[in-house]
Order: sequence, then C-alpha cells, then structure tokens
Amino acid sequence: MTDLTNTGATQGEKIDTGQQRQARITGGVLLGLAVFTVFVFGFDAAGDATFRLSRPRDPFALPNLVVPSGPFLYIAAAVLAFLGARQFVRGGTRWTALSLGIGLAVLVAAFLVWATAGKAFSLTGMLQATMVRAVPIALGGLAGVLCERVAVINIAIEGMLLAGAFTGALMGSLIGGWGGLLSAVVIGGLFGFILAALVVTYRMDQIIAGVVINLFVLGLTSYVTSQVFAEHRFLNNAPVFRAWKVPVLGDLPVIGPVFFNQNIFVYGALVLVATATYYLFHTRSGLRARSVGEHPRAADTLGINVYRTRYIHVTLGGMVAGFGGAWFTLGSVGRFDENMTGGRGFIGLAAMIFGRWHPVGALMAALVFGFADSLQQKLALLNTPIPSEFLAMSPYIATIIVVAGLIGRARAPAADGKPYVKE
Amino acid sequence: MKHLRSNLIATTVAAAVTLGAAATASAFTACQVTDTGGIDDNSFNQTAWKGVQDAEAQLGIDGRFLESQAETDYEANINSLLGECDIILTIGFLLGDATQTAAEANPDQKFSIVDFAYDPTIPNVLGQVYATDQAAFLAGYLAAGMSETGILGTFGGINIPPVTIFMDGFHAGAMYYNEQKSADVQVLGWNPESREGLFTNNFESLDDGRAFAQNLYDEGADIVLPVAGPVGLGSAALADELGTDALKIIGVDADLYLTDPEKGHVYLTSIMKNMDSTVFQVIQSAKDGTFEGGVIVGTLESGGVGLAPYHDMDAIVSDELKAEIDAIKAGIIDGSIKVGM
Repeated sequence: MTDLTNTGATQGEKIDTGQQRQARITGGVLLGLAVFTVFVFGFDAAGDATFRLSRPRDPFALPNLVVPSGPFLYIAAAVLAFLGARQFVRGGTRWTALSLGIGLAVLVAAFLVWATAGKAFSLTGMLQATMVRAVPIALGGLAGVLCERVAVINIAIEGMLLAGAFTGALMGSLIGGWGGLLSAVVIGGLFGFILAALVVTYRMDQIIAGVVINLFVLGLTSYVTSQVFAEHRFLNNAPVFRAWKVPVLGDLPVIGPVFFNQNIFVYGALVLVATATYYLFHTRSGLRARSVGEHPRAADTLGINVYRTRYIHVTLGGMVAGFGGAWFTLGSVGRFDENMTGGRGFIGLAAMIFGRWHPVGALMAALVFGFADSLQQKLALLNTPIPSEFLAMSPYIATIIVVAGLIGRARAPAADGKPYVKE
Repeated sequence: MKHLRSNLIATTVAAAVTLGAAATASAFTACQVTDTGGIDDNSFNQTAWKGVQDAEAQLGIDGRFLESQAETDYEANINSLLGECDIILTIGFLLGDATQTAAEANPDQKFSIVDFAYDPTIPNVLGQVYATDQAAFLAGYLAAGMSETGILGTFGGINIPPVTIFMDGFHAGAMYYNEQKSADVQVLGWNPESREGLFTNNFESLDDGRAFAQNLYDEGADIVLPVAGPVGLGSAALADELGTDALKIIGVDADLYLTDPEKGHVYLTSIMKNMDSTVFQVIQSAKDGTFEGGVIVGTLESGGVGLAPYHDMDAIVSDELKAEIDAIKAGIIDGSIKVGM
C-alpha cells in the first residue's frame, strides 16, 4: 500500500517494479499456504468441527456452529490458491496487503477447523478471553504511544504496570476497589512524572532511566510482598471488579459476552484508546504534542512549551499504565504477588511499535496477541499433535508474522529518544 | 531485613546450642539449606523447616537454617555447615548437584535432600521423594464423584515431573472412578499418554491462573486442579467470583484452606506433600543412629503425602463418597489398587 501520489515520474517505474516483486512474493506465499492446507490439514481431517457459540446461561441460545472439516479445508485451500494466483499474475495493485490479510484469516480458520475436527470447543469463550488478555497489553501500548509521541521512550511501562498492580491491591484492600483504582492511577502518574523529570529536566539517558524505574519497582514491591503482606494478609485482599453487563447489548449472542459483558477495565481500555486517538489526531493540543515529538525546535519556535508538553504526556502515559496495572489485581485476581505482570509491559511496548505508534494500532496488536494466547490455550485442550512449548510461543510468532506481513515498515516520531535542549 | 532476621535467629540458635550443650551432654544439630525461595516462602522451604521445628519440640534437637539468595550460594552454604551439624538437610531438586559434591567429599557427614533421588545412591545421603500421585489419585476420584458436569480440568506450571506427577495421579483417579461406576468423567488439560497438556509456562502470572481456569470452565469443567504454585491463587479468585457451585478448586503442596484463608471456601480439598513429616522422620533416624543412605519415599502409608480435610465442603461430600475414598486409600496402601499406569 505504498503511497504513489508524491513520487516523481522518474521514480514511478522503479517503485512499480518493487511493488510487483512484493505482489509476486505474496502470491507465492499464498499458493504455498494453499498447498500446505491441502497436504497437511486436508489429508487427516475427519469428522465435523464443532464451535460452541452459546453458553448454558445465555438468554438467546444459538445452535452450535458445525463445520464439516474435509470440505471446509478444500474450500479454504481453493480460496488461498485463487488469491495467490491472482496476486502472482496481476499483482502490484493495492490488493496485495488485503489479499494477504484475507489469506491469513482463511489460514487461521482452516487451522482451527483442522485442530477441532471431531471435537468441540467454546468459540465465544475464546473470543471473550482474547479481549480480556489484550487489556493490559493494549493499555501498556497506549501508555507507550502517549510518551513516544512527545519523543520520550518509555521502557518503564513494565514497572508502572507493576506499581499500579501493587497499589491497586494495597489500597483496594484498605479503602475499597474504586479507591484502589484511583490510587493506582495516581501512582502510575507519579512514576510517569519521575521519568519525565529524569529525562526532560535532567536529560538522563531514557533507556537507563526506564530500567532504573523497572528495577526499583520490582525490588520494592517484592520486598513488601514477602516481608509485610506475608504477615499482614488483610493488606493483600482486594475486591475484584466484576463483569458489568450492558443492558440489551450484553444479551446478544457471541458479540454480547465479548464486548458488552466485561469489567470496567475492558470498557476503560476501549474508551481510552478512542479518546487518545481523537485527542492526538483531531485536536489542536494533540497536534502540538505530535509536533513536539517530530521537531521540538520548530514547536518551540512557534511558542509551544516543549518541556511542559513532555511532562504532561509522560505523566498521562504513566496514569494509563497505572490503570492497566490495576487490572492485574483489581480486575483479575484480587491480590498481589511478586513480579505478577510477567513482562506484559514489554509486550505492550512491542504492541505500540507493531501498531505504528497509533493507539488503535496498539489495540489491534494487543488483540492479535490476546487471540493467539487464548487460541493456544484451547489447542492445548484439543490434544493436537503440537508440543505445548511450541503452542506457548505461538502468540509471539503470530504477532511477528502479522506485523511483518501486514503492517510493513513503521516510522517512529522523528525526535524519539532525543532530549531537547532549549537555547 | 531478611539477613538481619536470619542473623538474629542464628544468634538465638547459637545461644540455644550453648545452653543446650550445657544442659545435655550430646546436643544434636540439624541444619537446613533452603533454595532461593527463602524460609518463609509459604510452601516448600517453610514446610520442610516446620519438620525441623517439630523435631526441635519433640526430640529436643537444635535446628538452624541458612537461606540461599542465589543458586551460587548452595555450595557455599553447605560447606559452611560442614562439621557443625549432625545432619544437613538440603531443600529442593535444584540443590542436587551441590549436595552430591559435598557428600562425596565428606563421607562422614550425614545429608538428606528433598525431592531428589540419586541413582546410584550415595551412602551418606538420604533422598526424600514423594509419591504425590497416590494422593492425587484420591483427589481425582473425589473430584469425579463430585462433578456435576462430568468434566474435570487441570493445568500445570511447567511440563516437568514434579508437576505432572500430580496430573498423572489426578487423571488416573478419575479414570478409576469411571471404571468402578461405569461413568464417563473426562479430564481436560492433561493427556498421560502423549505427556502433553495445558501449561502456563510460568509460576508467576496469577492472571494466567484465572484465564486458564476460565478456559476450562468454558469447556464445562466444574472442578479444576491447578499445579502451578501461586498461579493457582488466580484460579481461586475466579471460583470465588463464579461461586463454588459453578467452580471448585483443588489445592496442591499444602492445605490451601489454611494457607490461603481469604479464598479458603473455594477449595474442595488439597493434595498435600508433607515434607515436614519426612524431614522429621529423617532427623529421628539420624538421632537414633538408624540413618542409612538411600531413598525414602513419602507415601500415603507413611503420611508423606495425603489428602487435606474437606473443611467447608465437608457437608456436600456424601458419606458414601467419603467411605469410598477411605477404602481406596486403604487399597493403595495395601497395594491392591495401583495408581501408576
């Protein structure tokens, strides 16, 4: 999907050739996948694949989705072959990325049908889990977007998530869920402010500042957990925000449980992503913030206070990460344990890059990860001949493939990571 | 503070040793070297230390411990205790190599290690291992008898033998129930033939415990056995939210009703690995002079493994089922029921 409008006539032909080559490669890949589908999946598929759409207590019960695996796999292979052949013969149009996208979706469907042939699993449950598992990653990614759009690299997202989780558990136990949530957001913001102070005012190396915060939070929270929580258990027994069903919409089959019967963290993540997108790309202050990330000197010349803009956005990013961190305790298990975020902050950072420094992109990348994650859990139950260690890798592999294949090259804000010195 | 406290305890113990030596002519000292979890880890090291404390109370011995902060401490900690202790207890599979090296270099020093069996055996080391599958078998039978959906679930931390032995026993127990009652209870999450199943691949992310239990619940499971240390506490949070009619949890290692009292009501029972009991036995044998190198297996018979009381669930477990569990336990002990494949 390279934009041709601003390329000169002399360069036009060259880019066309590049596009054609890309289209041929895409076509070849799709044809290869078609062959793969027939020979690997098609040959040992037997019986129907049953996807349960409704759960026992759903008000509008849908019948199970029953797919005869043999015919489905051959149709899927045919679709892949058609898309591939079309790309190969007359590629070079804007259909390349779309074909690859459709092709990957068909491949995933074929894979699911093959794995489920003769068995059954809850599709709705898997999609609902996708949403839930994506929340901390999407919020981590969004925190990253807010910071990097003003050219501050935030490696400390992991630490901010952990701080939010810890504060949520501690304050949630003392003053209730809402108080815990608010405290987590405040603490996240505090760490954001500290990061901003270190890198904006004191011009410390941004990576080192982030690592310092991560190590500090990990050490402090682990220490308090083993020394204080172990003896005073009431400090680590927070209430959990239950799912809140949106009236009417929440009763819809499939869509209801996935989007409208979740806890406030899922709704919060969706609202924050929408708000951040509107703010960054459709408001005047959003434009100013982005200009600080692209060319701080120009922004400064035009009267934008670069330091203040960076402080505000990094603090906001910290608050978002604090909210995301509270999900681990107040939105999931109600207690804190050492290092319970398990690296999700770093995956959020990756989601931000895969999402091209865009809030919606970060959310999409998080959803891909969440989908692959809940998919591997289902596959482990279906006794597929794939080793569990390999299944555990699949979320990471899927994210890389989707990003490399569909997103293409991403560009960071021009001034990302560089301190600004006012003259 | 950990160090400070250890020092404090060490000083106290040293004082006790002096006093003890004054009071009785031959004081017996048992020393424990922990793995990196620390003495107050709420499970492994703490349970073993309880065995030492029981021995202190009942046998009048002296106990002391050294905490390993990192894997590099194992050897140094063991060496610093050589000659000062009548028996050195090393806690955990990970100390296997360090213990072997020290034991072979010091054939007169008595050692005992938890969760490790040397092959061939070393004359001055007594390995303590646990037939956890015997207790898990009982839990599997109980869960099969209690399930209303006829579907049980399990997941593990990492696919390694100390974890999967729980899942093996649980699966076998449920299958034994099917055999006895002509029932068709299924166990999701572990396939004993292919040795594959559902694993979180970590022992840290509690929300994994919740997500994995939700996954099993969505597939119809109403009793779930998480074998993943603290990750299982996330499963307990889900059971607490859904209500115990919908989902019950089976604990592992210790009686989680007691160690996780906030969520105690969700535990149907726990599969206990009574390291304190075997540690006590080992100290007793060393003190009596009956100590021999080799392997001691904690079984249902020796009390090394067992099923925890039903606690809050006691009322809903039928007397008939309780009697059957007791009969199976007796059957496993006298060898008429085999838990292995």
